[in-house]
Amino acid sequence: MISVKNLSHSYNEDGNFAVKNISFEVVNGETFGFLGPSGAGKSTTQGILTGLLKLQDGEVLVAGYDIKKVQNERFNKIGVSFEQSNVYGKLTARENLEYYAKLFDVPTRDPMELIHLVGLDGKENVRASEFSKGMKHRLTFARSMLNNPELWFLDEPTTGLDPAIAATIKDIIREKAAQGTTSFLTTHNMFIADELCDRVAFIIDGEIKLIDAPKSLKLQYGQKLIDIEYIDDGKIVKETLKTVDELERKRIGEIVNNYEIQTMHSKEATLEEIFIQVTGRELVYNETIK
Amino acid sequence: MKLLSNYLKEMKIAARGFYFYIEIAMAVILVGILLLVVSETSTSNIKQFIYNDMPQKIAEYLKDKSIEDGDARLANPTEFELKPAEFVITNQETGETTAYDFDDEKIIELETIEMLDSSTGERDETVYYVETEEDMIRLAYSEREVGATVAMDAHGKVSTKYYLQGYETDRLESLLYISHSKSPAVINAKKDRQVVRTLGVMETLNNRENLVPIFLVYLGSLMGYFIVMAYIFYDKAEGVIRAFAVTPSSMWKYLVSKIFVILTTVVVSSSIITIPVMGGQPNYLLFYIFLIITTFALASLGLLVASFFDSISKAFGVMYAIMISLMIPAFSYYIPSFDPLWLRFFPSYPLLQGFKEILLNGDTGYVLTYSFVFLAGGLVLFVLADMRFKKTLTV
Repeated sequence: MISVKNLSHSYNEDGNFAVKNISFEVVNGETFGFLGPSGAGKSTTQGILTGLLKLQDGEVLVAGYDIKKVQNERFNKIGVSFEQSNVYGKLTARENLEYYAKLFDVPTRDPMELIHLVGLDGKENVRASEFSKGMKHRLTFARSMLNNPELWFLDEPTTGLDPAIAATIKDIIREKAAQGTTSFLTTHNMFIADELCDRVAFIIDGEIKLIDAPKSLKLQYGQKLIDIEYIDDGKIVKETLKTVDELERKRIGEIVNNYEIQTMHSKEATLEEIFIQVTGRELVYNETIK
Repeated sequence: MKLLSNYLKEMKIAARGFYFYIEIAMAVILVGILLLVVSETSTSNIKQFIYNDMPQKIAEYLKDKSIEDGDARLANPTEFELKPAEFVITNQETGETTAYDFDDEKIIELETIEMLDSSTGERDETVYYVETEEDMIRLAYSEREVGATVAMDAHGKVSTKYYLQGYETDRLESLLYISHSKSPAVINAKKDRQVVRTLGVMETLNNRENLVPIFLVYLGSLMGYFIVMAYIFYDKAEGVIRAFAVTPSSMWKYLVSKIFVILTTVVVSSSIITIPVMGGQPNYLLFYIFLIITTFALASLGLLVASFFDSISKAFGVMYAIMISLMIPAFSYYIPSFDPLWLRFFPSYPLLQGFKEILLNGDTGYVLTYSFVFLAGGLVLFVLADMRFKKTLTV
């Protein structure tokens, strides 16, 4: 569905590249996560793939179209949900969706169905300018589904949403994936990527450091851990021990046999921990450090 | 279909915003002012200082005859104070200059006559008779009014030499000729003896009509330039241009829909101003062709300028500079003597003149020529704007 070969991009065309010679492929029906901190090159890559940025160097095929050639009809197969919500404030939720629906050459979904899907029932006739940030974000997300896209670009789809709404959005993404929609998910939220993506790419300073499935990464880089809380001499003591280490395994047995256990949880390394291990950088960090 | 959908969406947004109503409200206010406040004839009291270079008996006879005929009435003598002055007068025909330098200070009392409008009987100019030509020139200079030497040759033919300030309108000059010659037919015969410019335009717009081209250009086309930029920057702030860019619709349709909204607004507001004032006089087909083409051209200029900036605050300097430069030709419109060649290259110059010609039912060739020029220029600007927007979608 997406094929990128030796893609490079420089905003000032001065040799300082925002994206440096990256290559990857996204197969049909896959949910592909593009992970990295701010300024890593995620938005630049997505901008090129969606045609918002001009391709400077490399070969890019999106939904079967060579993006070097201007072919607007490719957007009949593509949906884009932006990180920054961008809807007409002076139009109602329904008018926004009805307007965009008319721009496609393919059958589109009923705006009211989408409004219901993203939990904006009862707000269809309210102008978007009166919406909260989260509501605008949901409307932007709903708009990206209008044309039943084969390829769906999702930029931070759950950012700024409350947990209940974020869960709804994640369910919709899972459902679309089950229906065979290919998704290109750009995020710095490793939990979302871990939950939704078949494969993830780690991008830092415009370069892809690694591409693999989250499960494989955990097997390859993660260490199984056990968190134990027990009572020793009237006090609660907490220890985290590796199950792969012989000595620490013996220690687990010792604690279980000799102390009163309060809690005991097995724990996997998170995608974020793996990201730090692989790239040496955190996904969200203080601007002053950056 | 997509274009229509875009246009309807833009009209809906415009109808829910302020610009559309401000434009229409301004048109209603302006037409109200034109119809209720601005009179068709000039209400300004023209003052003239006249030196009669002829035997006093003849001068007295002409004056008395005017009063007897009801063309004028005698008023109380008026006092003027003459102060030291130094100035230069240029003969418009020969380019010859004459320097004057007066050191003395004096008070003179002048015989005063009020000339009456033949249709209304109201005073429409005041004439002061000065005893010497030197004092007449000095008064014309110090009072910033019209001065004239009325002479009679050996064959009894009367000629007039005017001393003007340089900013008088064609219309005023026509009035001066007529008021002294009594008949427009005399103008051609006397033309070679006048120092003021040759009167080419005998047909003129009245006071009220004369304001219409200014309103059409500045409330119509120029506001179109400004408002299209405001609409674009509003869309940029909301990020909806990026959302449009990821649909199968072409960017030019988005831009054209903006221009259509401007055209709708401008056609409505311009009609509100023009039809009640001009009635059935102008060629409306030509009027709307010229209005639509020129608005398209200036709106395209607005689109192109907007493509270089991501917010109205960043664009303000360039936007304001262009607006001011487009206003400069208005000086020439009101002060015909200020008409340098370079001014004709400002787009608003042919706009003003074009609308004037249409309202006068004048030079159709001029209007059609500039319609073509504006159409060609507008298309070039539009294509450039389209290219720029495609290139800067991430802004």
